[in-house]
Amino acid sequence: MAATIAGVFKPEVQNLIINSKILLVGSGGIGCEVLKNLVMLGFCNIEVIDLDTIEVSNLNRQFLFNKESVGKPKSHVAKTSVLKFNPNVNITSHFGDITDNKYGVAFFNKFKLVINALDNKKARSHVNRMCLSCEIPLIESGTMGYQGQVEFILKGVSMCFECNARSEPKSYPMCTIRNTPREPIHCIIWAKYLFSQLFGNSDEDVSMEQKEEVEGGYEKLSARNWAIKNEYNPKKLFKKIFFDDIIYLLGMSHLYEGRIIKPVLLDESLLEQEYCEYNHVPDNKILTLEQSISMFSDSVTAIKEKLGESNAECLTWDKDDDNFMSFVVSCSNIRSAIFNIPFKSYFDIKSMAGNIIPAIATANAMVAGQIVIHALRILQKKYDRCQNVFLRSMPNHKGGLLVKDKDVLKPNPKCNVCISDGEILLVTDTHKFTIRQLEELVLKKKLNMVAPDVQIDDRVIISSDADDEVNMYDLTLLEAGLKDRSTFEVDDGLQSFIIKIKVHHQEKYEEEEPDFEIFNNMNEFNAANEINKYMELNENDDDCVIEEKTVDSSGSGVCVNNEDIKEAVMVSKKEVTEEISNEEGTEEISNKEGTEEISNEEGTEEISNKEGIEEISNKEGAKDITNGEGAEEILAIKRKAAEEIEDINDVKKSRVD
Amino acid sequence: MASKMLKNGDAELTVEERKVYDRQIRLWGYEGQNKLKSLKVLLIGMQGLGAEIAKNLILSGVHSITLKDHTSVSILDRCSQFLIPRDSEERNRAKASLSAAQKLNPNVKVIADTVPIEENVDNFITMYDVVIATECSLSTYKRLSELCRKANIMIFIADVYGLFGYFYQDVNFTHPLYSEIFPNNAQIDTITLAKKPPQAYYLTSALLKFQSDSNRKPNPDTSEEDIEELKSIIHLQMNSSSDQKSTAIDLFEEYYGELFCELSPTTSILGAMVSQTAINTVMNKPVSNFNVFFYDHVKHEGTFYLL
Ligand SMILES: [Zn+2]
Repeated sequence: MAATIAGVFKPEVQNLIINSKILLVGSGGIGCEVLKNLVMLGFCNIEVIDLDTIEVSNLNRQFLFNKESVGKPKSHVAKTSVLKFNPNVNITSHFGDITDNKYGVAFFNKFKLVINALDNKKARSHVNRMCLSCEIPLIESGTMGYQGQVEFILKGVSMCFECNARSEPKSYPMCTIRNTPREPIHCIIWAKYLFSQLFGNSDEDVSMEQKEEVEGGYEKLSARNWAIKNEYNPKKLFKKIFFDDIIYLLGMSHLYEGRIIKPVLLDESLLEQEYCEYNHVPDNKILTLEQSISMFSDSVTAIKEKLGESNAECLTWDKDDDNFMSFVVSCSNIRSAIFNIPFKSYFDIKSMAGNIIPAIATANAMVAGQIVIHALRILQKKYDRCQNVFLRSMPNHKGGLLVKDKDVLKPNPKCNVCISDGEILLVTDTHKFTIRQLEELVLKKKLNMVAPDVQIDDRVIISSDADDEVNMYDLTLLEAGLKDRSTFEVDDGLQSFIIKIKVHHQEKYEEEEPDFEIFNNMNEFNAANEINKYMELNENDDDCVIEEKTVDSSGSGVCVNNEDIKEAVMVSKKEVTEEISNEEGTEEISNKEGTEEISNEEGTEEISNKEGIEEISNKEGAKDITNGEGAEEILAIKRKAAEEIEDINDVKKSRVD
Repeated sequence: MASKMLKNGDAELTVEERKVYDRQIRLWGYEGQNKLKSLKVLLIGMQGLGAEIAKNLILSGVHSITLKDHTSVSILDRCSQFLIPRDSEERNRAKASLSAAQKLNPNVKVIADTVPIEENVDNFITMYDVVIATECSLSTYKRLSELCRKANIMIFIADVYGLFGYFYQDVNFTHPLYSEIFPNNAQIDTITLAKKPPQAYYLTSALLKFQSDSNRKPNPDTSEEDIEELKSIIHLQMNSSSDQKSTAIDLFEEYYGELFCELSPTTSILGAMVSQTAINTVMNKPVSNFNVFFYDHVKHEGTFYLL
């Protein structure tokens, strides 16, 4: 181990390595590499925590695992593997969730440094708050495909994870999903909802109620009950979902009046079509409509069987279940045929439906190497050597592949998490919004709290203590005493995070989305309203697109991110529409990179370079389809950083030249 | 019955490989994965950097990789050579790495080769699609660079010094040969170089000069003397170069303390950088307008240059 060999490091650095206790949160792609680097360098007090078990698809990069370890806890296996590098290190592995209250302040205080190698925003925010409250330096990291980043976080010294709003998962208006799909992703999300409605636990219906003959007349059955009554007969289901439901939609005349998007009924001969073999088609090739219908039929039969065997009332959709995937693939493509949308392959639909983020060993290794270089600088307290670093997929015109911010970024003075005990504005309908929604959607999901407590005038409204018998959940805000303009305080004891919330009542119509919005203050709220008015004035036929009044793909309502609104002012309507109609969210980034490269002036070589980069960008664009969490937010950071770095370079360049 | 969608986008991959490589196939497609599956790699030098390159390429699913090293395991391998088990001192490095390397991916053919590259005939390299060399002498690098140029085989030459590292690549056979960029002279003649070289270039040149004068890399046992020696080489090189001022010599102070052994953070970064650049080249996405990469551990930047 490097630090135990005299002369490799100066004695003071040697001591820091040997004596500093490190917490590594996550032992997946980045975590495995970090653990190896730490142990080889000579760190000998390490705790590692991960809540995941090993999967086959991890093995192309998580090199501390192999086939025999599939199914076992990542943290324990990672520990066993690195102990072979050096049996004398003291590693404690935890198979658990870092947001669990047993990992409180006392736990965090044991460490000199915390390293995040996580894949979700909630845990990242939580560790961020724990480290801020304990004043422990934190290294935050992430990768996506060829790209990645390393960030240094220390209270009062640098920006925290939450100093700038990170982009929310991409989400789609429910009316688009139900009535006016324009892109494959709309049909894919619809198909996942359909799965939940028919086989799972659904909170969003996409298939209509159906009249059914009963003794002495008709009764209206939910799609689920109708399907059960008909024993999930594939033919009947096919007719109901892809004919009857569409006829119903077409019957709602206002829905498609004067619109380009309009469903067209399929040929009725398909109802009686012969079985059409599709098993020979590779998963990256597109099936015909006839093959899709056979696939639908097969998948329904198989899922019905599974439902019968499982004794469970409900199945949970899982991208790794081939039949569940086949159901979504066939349903989304059949729906695409109805709405004149291009088909997608099984392979691509799995990426989109499963929010799969592409991942490779090399990007993780580069990020992990930089994390440990940062760790050395942080322990040496050389904070001026800890600028955030970004790994690009291809070198920029200056050759930069691992590029960094010019300076360590100062905390955002308006940050509600690391600086101010601020007040935020909650805009919602106090007559409808419930305390349960307040806790689940606002405090936990939006504000990433894990153990919030709320008291109003000594009355406990929300308690993090399971022993407290509080039952206010079904009350509306108003019934609980939270009316327009009242202010209350939320305290997350675990995160030492306190925030004041001011309520602003705004009447919402039935089904109007979102259920709530959060703003930093009244001015921001007013500005957002101005934008909405502007958007409404400029509305074209393509309604309910611009506002992004959203339902995310997992099914629960999420508010509009106020950052998005601010950004929306900057771009013209046209651009907004373009961005949204852009098939695969991330492409704009690739294009941006492409453009940078093109605009550099290095003569002929450029052309080949440009081609090369476009090729890659397109490929990335095509594969990196995610409405999932991690990826989007990483990309958002990356995009911002890449722009900034380019700006700096360009300024420099123009000065020098 | 249950749907049996063929999960292989291409018959060349087994179902099991398809599952293991899923997350990267979603990045570079079946086409890319198949190109990797036919790639034969020669990797010379199995110290820390070699271990990283081996790990990344084996995980990615190349056809085969030959781990070539005629030297014995030393205590210094413990700084970053994670493929060699404990208590392997005096075993051959390639052989000692073989078992752990093979375990990373049973689908890849991993071979240990203990013959010194100096003893191989010139056309030895033509058995491979890509040659990656680390921890060789400068004369060997020079020879390999020339041989690969002649045979149109892409080559990467890489070394790590403590937390500092660099690599040279020749992938489109148009830019200068290795020895034209690192001629190993006592004085640096910037005129022969295409562009004004970065600070990291001077550091690399000095380290190479040290290595060829002393027949070894700087060593932790003799760290103080070695630093003095390096300083004097840099002095000489800087003073003689036409466009550098001697005050620039101070800029190197922060680097000297961290140039010993191959240290894991940088073998991790550089090993991945070499591996990914090779993979990209195989997939027809070469970094074609640059030929040298430096990882500067003080500025923590990784940058390509055309020299
Ligand atoms: Zn902050």
